[in-house]
Formats: sequence, C-alpha cells, structure tokens
Amino acid sequence: MAFISSGYNPSKPMENRITDIGPRDFHDFLPPVIKKNFGKWAYHEILEPGVLMHKADSGDEVYTVRVGGCRLMSTEHIREITSIAEKHCDGYVRFTTRNNIEFMVDSKEKVAPLKKDLLSRREPGGGFKFPLGGTGACITNIVHTQGWIHCHTPATDASGTVKSTMDELFDEFTHMRLPAILRISMACCLNMCGAVHCSDLAILGIHRKPPMIDNEYIDNMCEIPLAVAACPVAAIRPSKTEVVVKGEKKTVKTVAIKNERCMFCGNCYTMCPSLPLADKEGDGIAIMVGGKISNRLCAPKFSKVVIAFIPNEPPRWPTLTKTIRKIVDAYSKNAHKYERLGSWAERIGWEKFFEICEIPFTEHIIDDFRDPAYYTWRQTTNFKWTNGVEEFANIKK
Amino acid sequence: MAKRETPLLDQLESGPWPSFVSDIKRAAESRHKNERNLEYQIPVDVCDDLLGVLELSYEEGVTHWKHGGIVGVFGYGGGVIGRYCDQPENFPGVAHFHTMRVNQPSGKYYTASYLNDLCDLWDFRGSGLTNMHGATGDIVFIGTTTEQLEEIFFELTHKFDQDLGGSGSNLRTPATCLGESRCEFACYDTQSLCTHLTHEYQDELHRPAFPYKFKFKFDGCPNGCVAAIARSDLSFLGTWRDDIRIDQEKVAAYIGGEIQANAGAFAGRDWGAFDIQKEVIDLCPSQCMSLEDGKLAIDTKNCTRCMHCINVMPQALKIGNDRGCSMLAGAKSPILDGAQMGSLLVPFIKVEDNYDAIQEIIENIWDWWMEEGKNRERLGELIKRQGFQKLLDSTGIKALPQHIQEPRSNPYILWKEEEVEGGWGRDINEFRKHHAR
Amino acid sequence: MDEKAQIVVDFIKSKEKNKSKFYFKDLAALFPDEKPRAAKKIINKMIDDEILEYWSSGSTTMYGLKGAGKQHDSEGEE
Repeated sequence: MAFISSGYNPSKPMENRITDIGPRDFHDFLPPVIKKNFGKWAYHEILEPGVLMHKADSGDEVYTVRVGGCRLMSTEHIREITSIAEKHCDGYVRFTTRNNIEFMVDSKEKVAPLKKDLLSRREPGGGFKFPLGGTGACITNIVHTQGWIHCHTPATDASGTVKSTMDELFDEFTHMRLPAILRISMACCLNMCGAVHCSDLAILGIHRKPPMIDNEYIDNMCEIPLAVAACPVAAIRPSKTEVVVKGEKKTVKTVAIKNERCMFCGNCYTMCPSLPLADKEGDGIAIMVGGKISNRLCAPKFSKVVIAFIPNEPPRWPTLTKTIRKIVDAYSKNAHKYERLGSWAERIGWEKFFEICEIPFTEHIIDDFRDPAYYTWRQTTNFKWTNGVEEFANIKK
Repeated sequence: MAKRETPLLDQLESGPWPSFVSDIKRAAESRHKNERNLEYQIPVDVCDDLLGVLELSYEEGVTHWKHGGIVGVFGYGGGVIGRYCDQPENFPGVAHFHTMRVNQPSGKYYTASYLNDLCDLWDFRGSGLTNMHGATGDIVFIGTTTEQLEEIFFELTHKFDQDLGGSGSNLRTPATCLGESRCEFACYDTQSLCTHLTHEYQDELHRPAFPYKFKFKFDGCPNGCVAAIARSDLSFLGTWRDDIRIDQEKVAAYIGGEIQANAGAFAGRDWGAFDIQKEVIDLCPSQCMSLEDGKLAIDTKNCTRCMHCINVMPQALKIGNDRGCSMLAGAKSPILDGAQMGSLLVPFIKVEDNYDAIQEIIENIWDWWMEEGKNRERLGELIKRQGFQKLLDSTGIKALPQHIQEPRSNPYILWKEEEVEGGWGRDINEFRKHHAR
Repeated sequence: MDEKAQIVVDFIKSKEKNKSKFYFKDLAALFPDEKPRAAKKIINKMIDDEILEYWSSGSTTMYGLKGAGKQHDSEGEE
C-alpha cells in the first residue's frame, strides 16, 4: 500500500489550495425535461405506489420511479444506481430527503422497463435492492442516524432497527392504504442528530446508566474542565480520589457525578473518553408518536414519548417491531381519512390511545422535566374512562 | 468468502427491505477483488473489519467507537468528524475511521458520471461506504484515515470542483426540498436561494465562530418536505399573498369523479367516492371555503394557506401568483430545555433575484446571537432567554399579531422608561407634600 | 506574531494549567472593542498561521494552541 499524493504538499498547505467553493451548481445535474420545465409544473399524479407523473404547463411529462434505499450505502450500490440511471434515464438520478432514490424518465413507455429492471435486482438473501413505493398515504423510508456502525454515544443500532422495522412494515411502503402519511424516524440517542422530535413515530435510543469514571486515567486522557462544562444539567464536578496503582496508593484528579441528576445524554463522553456510559442492560429504545412537520390542516406537532423503554434485542429487535406494528395497525384501523397519527390521538384522547394500542401506561410518560411539564398535565374534568380507572380501588399503587 | 464470521448480522440479510449487511459484504468482496486495480490508500479489509466490530456490538449491546477532536482540513473548522475504534488491535482496518461531509448539490440531483467520480475517489482513498445522505443533507463519506483527509479535499476541490460541508459551531450545510425543479407547489426557487446563501456564507460554513450550530433549511411550501420548521434555526417556507387559483371545470371533474382526488395518494384503500364537502370544505381549518351551484369559492382573506385543499385537488387548485416565503426562527431538537418549532418572524418576504433583504435579516440575527448567545446556546434558546422582543429589535421588525398564537396571559410587562410618559425620575419630596409619611 | 495574536496566546498560556481548549466567545472577549465578526478575523488568521487549531466535539468547536491538550496523545495523532 504505497502512499499516492493527490498533489497536496503537507509542508506548504496553502500552496495551490482551493477553498470556499461550496457545492456544485445544481443546474449541472438537472435532467433536460426538468431543466426545460423548471418552475412551470402544472400538477402531479401518483400512477401507482412508487410511480409519479408530473405534468408541465408545456405539456411535457416526467415520470418518477421512487425506490427505497439504505442511507448507509456502498460505492458498489451507488455504481449500480448510476448504471441503471445510464441505462434508462440518460444518466440522471436524484435522492430524496428521506433516503429514497428517484429515477426519472420523460415518457410513459420508459416506465415499465425501468420498473421491471429495478424489481428484478435482488440481494442474495432474497430482499429487494430497489423496492418500489414510498408515495402517497404510506410509510415511506425511515430517516435515521449512525448507531453502532459509526457513532460514539449510541444507545442502540440505527441501520439494524431500521432494517427490522421496514421488513415488518414493508407492505405499508409498497401500498397507499393508510389514513394519511406516516413518517417514521430513528435517532440512536437523545441528542437526536436525526431530529426525530416531529415524527408520526420515532424510534429513539436511550441510555439509563450514568457514566462510569475511569479514575486512574481520566486526568491523563481528558481535560477535566471540559468534561465538567459538557454536562447540560451540571451533574459533574471536579474531584479527587485515591486509586491503587501497582500496589501503591495515590491521589488523582477526577470528577464526581451526581447520578440522580444525570439525563443520560453522553455529552461528557464526547468530551472525555474516560466517562463511558453505554451498557447492555442499561441501553434500549423509547418510542415517541404523534409529531408532524406539515402545516396541513393543523400546526406542526412534537412527538410524545409513549413507551419509555424497550430492551435492545439485536439482531432483529422483535419487541420493538411488534410494538410498532400494533400502533400502526390501531392507527390504520381507527383514524379518519387525512388524520395524522397525532391528530387521531388528540381526537380520541391520549388515554384512549394507550387503551386502543394496548400500551401499559407508566409514570415515566408523565413529563417532569422543568417548566413545560405542567402544560402536559390534565387541567380539566373532561377525560374518558378507560379499562380499570373507574374504581378507586383499582388505581391505588 | 467473508473474512469474519458474523452470525448475528447475517440475520439481517433476509426480509424484503434492502439489507445494509448484504451491501457491505458485497463492498468487502469487491474491495478484495479490486477489479479497478486501485492502489488502496486505506486497508483493503476495512469493510470486513467494520462488519466485525459491528458484530461485536450486536453481541455485547454497546458501541466500540470513540469521538476524536479532529475537525477538518487545514484552515477549516468543520466538515470532518473524528472517529476511532476502541478495539484497534482486533480491527486494524477501522482503527482510524473518520467521517467527511461533502456539500450536496441543492435538491440532490446528480449525473451518473459525477457520482461515479466520487465513488472512484472514495474507493481509492476511503472505505467506499457512504451515507446518501446524512441528516443535515450532506453526502457523507464514512471512514478514512487522518493522512487521507487533505488528499481527499485536494482532489475534491481540484478535480471535482466540490467543497466540504459543515460541522461544529458553524453554519451547517444548508438543505432544501426539490422546489420548482419538479413541484407545482413550490412558491419560490428554493434551490437557488439555498445555493446562493451557501456560497455567500462559505466563511461561516467553514470557520466556526458561532456559539453553537446554525441551520438554514428551505421548504417550497407549507407541506414542509425537508422539515425546515422543526430543525433549522432559520427556516424559509414558501407561501403566497393572493388568491388560490381555481379552475372550476376541474373542480367539477373532481366532484364528478373524472379526476382522482389526492393525485391518487389514497388509492390503496376503498374510502368511498370523493366528497368535496366532507373531505375539503368541512376540514378547512379556517372554514373559508364554500360550494354554491357547483362553484367553489375561497375567502382568501381568511385562508391560512395550509395546503390541504390544494393537496387534495392539485389540478383544480393552485398556489397564488404573488409568492414569496415566511421566515421562522429558532427551531431545534429537544436537547436541552425541550424541542422548539420555528417561531414566525417574517410573515412574507419576496424571494427574487436579489436576496439582500433576506441577508440583512440573517446577518442581524447572527450579530445579536454572537454577542449575546452563551456557549452552546442555540438561537431558539436565546430567543426564549431574552424574549421575542429582542429578536424583533435585532432585526428591526415591528411586532405583529401574526407573531403570536395568543396574547400573553400574565400582565408582567417590563415597561422601559422611555415608554412611560414623564419617565421614571420623580421627586419624593413633592410626593410627600400630599402624602404623610 | 502581531500584538493581537500575542494577547490570545498569553491568555491561553495563562490558563494552561487547567485547560487547553476555549470557546470562540472566550477568545472574542479579549477584544471587547471589536464586533464578534472582527474578532473572528483575528482568530482565524491565527489558524492559518498555525498558531491555533480547532478542536471539535462534532457539535461544538473549540480553539487551542496547536498541538496542545491531552487528547492529542491519546488519539495517537502525531
């Protein structure tokens, strides 16, 4: 493996340096029919799951075939995508915000061969390389984060939970039979670099054990003030402790953590590798529901935690996927047309939501974090009866 | 033949959804075959080792990655995320495994040749694994060594006219929906505004000096396909001021069932015949629609432009012609004090060739946030801490009823001295002449 | 090294017993008469001159003297 220089000269980093050029101009990448009708589209139709037709004022049509993709994608797979684009789409392709891939052709005759080609490409295990769908009242692709494959603070895996969930919900990706779109997203810790906080259904990795402290090494590995400053709830303070190194007692600088204050975010571990918090039993998944982004019919909403903890069960997370299936089925059966999951839950009342979805309610679901918590408690006598609450005897702890 | 046994991961190769495990295995095999005859610059078994370390996480239920402080290429404070494996002896191929963020083109359209070029570069100097795309919108190259970072950057800029994206306390790579390129709902050219601001603020994107991250996102209409309102410090959502355009003949065709409602989006279930009264007029959140003698009327003054009726009948109803965008400020995910949606700051601004007015607002906000924001405080948190009025002051925008959901329900108005007639300076002795001690 | 850069270096050295990395605001505060964006120019020039270097948590960026700090060694980079 001989090092091959790109032409960069490390002793003179500024020599021939090009900086601040930004992204490529998107105009260079637009298919001709898109370029020609830019800003002049009249309407669209979804011809079947995964196939869109956009009609321009000029009368031109562009047919889009949408397929699911793994966000984690090898160059092998990208080359397969580009070869399909070259074969059917004059070498153009695009990706959606939700990690789907869109192949566009400029006439209807080109759709069938493209579809056939895409669906014929299968993996060794039998799965589709390019499943068709993700349009209309469906569950489209899950947006997600890195998880165990590349992140340092995940509480679960991302690609694995997503694969397991999409296998379970595959028919909802390839059909358009839900009361409205249902967006699922996944973030592998509560920092949510995947911003799952406004999804119809969110899979969220959570830790439940505060960091361990590697007392013997922390002062050599990390800058203690940084670890202290990283804690958003001020649970970490500088401290000293005695350790035994090679039979000898010595006093070392370290930190002390108020465990009962820890919110399990992992920010301290980011700053200081001597404070690991991941744990097989401690880590797992919370489920949040009822968020949305769109302004359609009602304002955007935040997702709410309805299940505080599901253990990690790699490789296929059966409890997680079964629970999600139950929520999706209950929503699909009971919501009105056009009603998003959160609007449905609000209409029937959250107490009914828990009953219908058969989710046991626990005190973890009641907000107790700072000021906004009060606004989530019930300040009215208007509520519905659900199984078991009618008798006081039933509700005593 | 796979280099490592991965019995747990192998179970993710069944089922109908594409398997990332099968894909990585295929990448591993192709790397060993090396049909392109590349002089790999990072270990050939990087994909095998990545599967190996992931299998270990599947066995043990914990991650094996550590964060590293490395930030970017020389002179840049973002674009690279440092990653180290905590089992380097067992998995030498991924001991150093840094991420590079590559600034995607607006709307994520590509030519095959451009993507193939990126693949060539990334096979040669990296793991060959990517995210298409990351949550912020970048093309993400996953996994290379420190000494390759400058080489990759040099090739990206010199050969492909392509720059890195953002990370850390800077402007993050702006992202947009596909806008006018293929959507009849787009109220402005989201791709051009996104591209323009990305170029205009390259310094803010590459050289961090903000208290924390800052995101722009551009949605062409209130449907919000890139989730701007939920996750960007400053979001730009297309809207319009005039009437929704109505084609009464097409309305009749929808009522008569000649055109399928919802552009076919609900076709997978039998919901019964389309009922315009029930599905559109009665659901309209501002109740501004009516049907008389088969003609649909919309009381534009009472319309809030939620998009529902247009989504249901895209051939009959179209966005208005006097278009622009609304700007909302301060969205963020929950960490720390709870999630925030963007709050409406500018109800309407034109988005045409000249973006000066938009840039003035952006720069005023940055000046305020850079002066007043605490370390690691997002814009939304600063607005909460100092008050919405401060945001209005900093941007020189008048208070409007559109800014609020409802008026305050406490009377604790912190009047300023200059607002009160006669000021606050009073004479206690004068007061005492009329009021005994 | 110019006068302004020296102020930054002196400040960082005065703290080196405790920490080696600083937020932008900590350094910008050394130039109370300058707007943050002017302070940014001074500090970024020091990056180009290889006096300072960035450190990132991924979400937050900090500044330190080039090569200083404990994590450097533990990461085995130079």
